[in-house]
Amino acid sequence: MSLRLVSAALLCVAVTVALAWAVLDRPLPEENLPDRVAAAMPESGVDHPVTAVLLNFRSYDTLLEIAVLLLAVVVALALREAQPDQPEAMGLDNPLLRAVMAWLLPLILIVAGFLLWAGSYQPGGAFQAGSVLAAAGVLLRLAGVTTAWLDNATLMRAGLALGLLTFLGVGLLVMIPGAPFLTYPLEYAGTLILVIELTLTLSIGLTLISLFRLTPPYADDPDEAREQAGKTP
Amino acid sequence: MIGLWSVPLLFALPLALGILSLLVTPAWRPRLIFVGLPLLTLASVDVLARLVLEGPRIYELGGWEAPLGINLVVDGLAVGMILMTTLVASLCALYARVYLRDYPASSSFFWPLLWLLWAGMNGIWLAEDIFNLYVGLEVMGLAAVGMVALRATPQALAAAMRYLLAALLGSLAYLLGVALLYATYGTLSMAGLQEAAAPNATTHVALALIILGLLLKTALFPLHAWLPPAHGGALTPVSALLSALVIKGSFYILMRIWLVLGPEVTPIFTAQLLGVLGAGAVFYGGWMAWRQHHLKQLVAYSTVAQIGYLFLFFPLVTGTGPEAARLAWDGTLMMLVAHALAKAALFLSAGNLILAVGSTQISHLVGISRFRPMSLFSFGLAGVSLMGLPPSGGFTGKWLLLHSAILSDQWWWLIVLFLGGLLSAAYIFKVFRMSFREGPQIDRSITPPLTLDVTALILASASILIGLTAHLPLFWLRLGSAFGAG
Repeated sequence: MSLRLVSAALLCVAVTVALAWAVLDRPLPEENLPDRVAAAMPESGVDHPVTAVLLNFRSYDTLLEIAVLLLAVVVALALREAQPDQPEAMGLDNPLLRAVMAWLLPLILIVAGFLLWAGSYQPGGAFQAGSVLAAAGVLLRLAGVTTAWLDNATLMRAGLALGLLTFLGVGLLVMIPGAPFLTYPLEYAGTLILVIELTLTLSIGLTLISLFRLTPPYADDPDEAREQAGKTP
Repeated sequence: MIGLWSVPLLFALPLALGILSLLVTPAWRPRLIFVGLPLLTLASVDVLARLVLEGPRIYELGGWEAPLGINLVVDGLAVGMILMTTLVASLCALYARVYLRDYPASSSFFWPLLWLLWAGMNGIWLAEDIFNLYVGLEVMGLAAVGMVALRATPQALAAAMRYLLAALLGSLAYLLGVALLYATYGTLSMAGLQEAAAPNATTHVALALIILGLLLKTALFPLHAWLPPAHGGALTPVSALLSALVIKGSFYILMRIWLVLGPEVTPIFTAQLLGVLGAGAVFYGGWMAWRQHHLKQLVAYSTVAQIGYLFLFFPLVTGTGPEAARLAWDGTLMMLVAHALAKAALFLSAGNLILAVGSTQISHLVGISRFRPMSLFSFGLAGVSLMGLPPSGGFTGKWLLLHSAILSDQWWWLIVLFLGGLLSAAYIFKVFRMSFREGPQIDRSITPPLTLDVTALILASASILIGLTAHLPLFWLRLGSAFGAG
């Protein structure tokens, strides 16, 4: 075991040294991509370069990344279904927590909406807004609040798929006039990006909430977990 | 304008089908293949027809030119891989529709994962952007891990976890390399890199990270340990998809990046080292395959061995003459395609034999030749290609590699090609010897549905046919590459 540790440590040191060497000895690029982005900004439909890169110039990467998120939930769903036990009713039955939640929830929703809107002219956007939305879902679960629509499997799946489906649909729809995939017409670019971001926010939020909710309840002690698994045939 | 559609449809269609299969009821999920397979076949054939008639081209996504936007490359290599994927994955899907009836719990999520895997693979084949390749790798890798976990037995979950960790480590190393290249050259487009790449420390460290990451994902010896439990333990159609197609994804990226960076940047000793590791894989994988007692484990170790041949590409193409390099390109691609067809056939027919005797043990196959001649025939045909006997695709590939090795005065690779073939023969005949032996163990067998036998047979025959008609596909594969269309 110690031999393994030593070799792992040596490997880490070697990689670190190689990386440091690579970064310090780096020639500067001749190609200036930020300049190109700045030059193309007027045609992007948004005012913030990060959003322009993520949802216009390199929107195809983002599309595939959303597919990765959906995949993660599909795998989680598959694994959850393979385990016969239901998710444990989780949550603290605490009136104070619920009272605080009633104040927090609207605030969280406003923050998520602001982040989404801010994405068009300053740092922000669908991923950030979706994560904030997911935090609200996690809080709801911790407070033991059950919502019918979160437990409705069909509705949940539709919400999970909505973002990718809209993105894909817009990408294909703009091809009708004869343009390549994901080429937004300039006059609609801002609107289309906003629609995509809106649906992405919802789907990303639901993805993160699902991953949290689908995690099987487990005991802290692995031996105890094995005992429990042995008890239920 | 149809030409504009077929290229994005190659990944958009599987993505849409993946989402759709998540939304419909489980009974409808397998039926989506009757819509999806014809459409994807149509799109693939259209892309091939356009390549042959109009030549290779670049597809600018979003109408943005690289390096600002992401381009797709539609050249011979990409189209060849797309057609290979369409053929193998379609037959695996038809097989799975019947096979998964016995696994109702696993089957409902097999279909969304299959379509997303397909989208990821087509994304990789078409990519011209090294970061886009990373995202494609993630889609493909995560779908593949999910498919291994589908069986949900403790062994399957352990294999999937191990696969996930190996795949993640590989992706991260690759991403680190990509980040270094971007920091050095300011572009992610392969065409831009090809122009700018120069031999300096940063590029070499980036190349080392990219190579290591991709070797881990391709499971080249000695980084192969995750492969046999993942491929051998999965559901049969999953094993076939993973062994035939998924490991080719990371090899394909390595091949592209190696050629893009060019001979000034790719050191000859690294090429020789990759060849040596390939030789190690051929010997070790073959030896381990021969020692297995479980049929699918044997086939999985055979994949470890066959990956080795692909890596002879690097020493044969680096620093050798144009003729030797062209032969190495032809030979490697022939080996790659032949292995995809033969390995899918081998896994599917192994699955049929396992269904027939109801056991995964090779020793329980005694006397099966009398009951399941067709399953055994497919297994044998695929075996012929893996052994490299004429007139199979495996033979043609090895023959081309052999010529390349002689032309470039690297006789030592001949030993690998020759002994590797003998080892393959040893493990294939191990199965055959058992099945032709008359023994007391079984006097009956379960008859698997006809679809299962037919799909395996089509794949096995294709692995032979590709060797007989090698000239034309090899000509197409060369279109748009550095090796000319002559």
